[in-house]
Amino acid sequence: MIGTRNARGTAAASRPGWRGVLSAGLGNTRTRILGVFLILVAVLGTVVLRDYANIETVFVAALLAGSLLSRWWTVLVPLSALLILQPLEWGMNPTYAVEAMAGISFFVVTGFVFVGLIGSRLRPKVLFRVKSVALLTTISVPLTVAYDLWTAFGEWYFLVRPLGVSFATVLEAQVLFTLYHLLSSLIFVPLFGTTFLFLQAYGWPAEQSEPVPADSDEPP
Amino acid sequence: MAPRLSERLQAVILIAVLVVAIAGLYGLTRTLQPAGVPSFVVHGVRLVVNGSGWTIEYSSLVTTNNTAFSLLQEASHRLGFAIAYEVYQIPEGVLVTSINGSSNGEGGRYWQYWVNEAYGRVAADRSALSDDDIVTWRFDRSYEGASGA
Repeated sequence: MIGTRNARGTAAASRPGWRGVLSAGLGNTRTRILGVFLILVAVLGTVVLRDYANIETVFVAALLAGSLLSRWWTVLVPLSALLILQPLEWGMNPTYAVEAMAGISFFVVTGFVFVGLIGSRLRPKVLFRVKSVALLTTISVPLTVAYDLWTAFGEWYFLVRPLGVSFATVLEAQVLFTLYHLLSSLIFVPLFGTTFLFLQAYGWPAEQSEPVPADSDEPP
Repeated sequence: MAPRLSERLQAVILIAVLVVAIAGLYGLTRTLQPAGVPSFVVHGVRLVVNGSGWTIEYSSLVTTNNTAFSLLQEASHRLGFAIAYEVYQIPEGVLVTSINGSSNGEGGRYWQYWVNEAYGRVAADRSALSDDDIVTWRFDRSYEGASGA
């Protein structure tokens, strides 16, 4: 149906109370399903690929949460995934002091939230088009490097600075890991980007639809 | 004005660019990855493990355990002390996390190794030994022998 959109989002603003706020924040049923799927992709992908340093799926989930879903999902997807993954990670590697683990977690969480927020800036341009996949993949390259620089700083500050290691040494050691992270982004962003763009466009019918003008800028 | 490319052609171009970029990146990572150490016989290698208030010494006249890590494993089997480590696939290599009950992070100390007093800059299983080498594992706060409490 051309020129329709889900009524939940538009009606939410006028709905009083916390239900309205919740509804506006989480979006329609399709958005919620995709949000939960993104959290699953982030968690399961990273757990399965645990032995491969920096080959992970939280990055792509955060980027897609921001660029496809926006609203609360921009923060909710990376936060929920890391709420599960970080305790798992530290639980399996209880080799560092609590302060160091908390400090590094801060850099990891804020890094992925930043990725989601940058993704949300792209949202108006992201549709089920090859151009959109190319745009997401292209933006993922500098974002991956920026994320790695940020978290490398956190690791240096909390883990190895007390040992007398310089930040330059950490950056030098980071190069190989960043290349693997770029590899991860170049594989997973187009792969999951295409899948989720398709699901967003054609995955589920909107729960309740109301006609809107055909020139609306809302995605289908 | 240039003709607009069809979605299919755009997809083909994107996939081609991605394949080239991924292959190039993968090739680069393989180049930067420290090479594996082929097994060969070494003579007269020694191992010294300095923990918190204890020391383990071990020497081997002839062995095919010719890396800083495999010599530690050999000593662990022969002398009966425990070691723990993690094996990473990417980048390939092991990280020793515990020796004889002392684990990384305790009191801000971490296991680090030196070969003939040269600090180990690669994973211990990627550090090849030669005849008469001395491998020293220290549970230390210091880095590269710098002073540390």
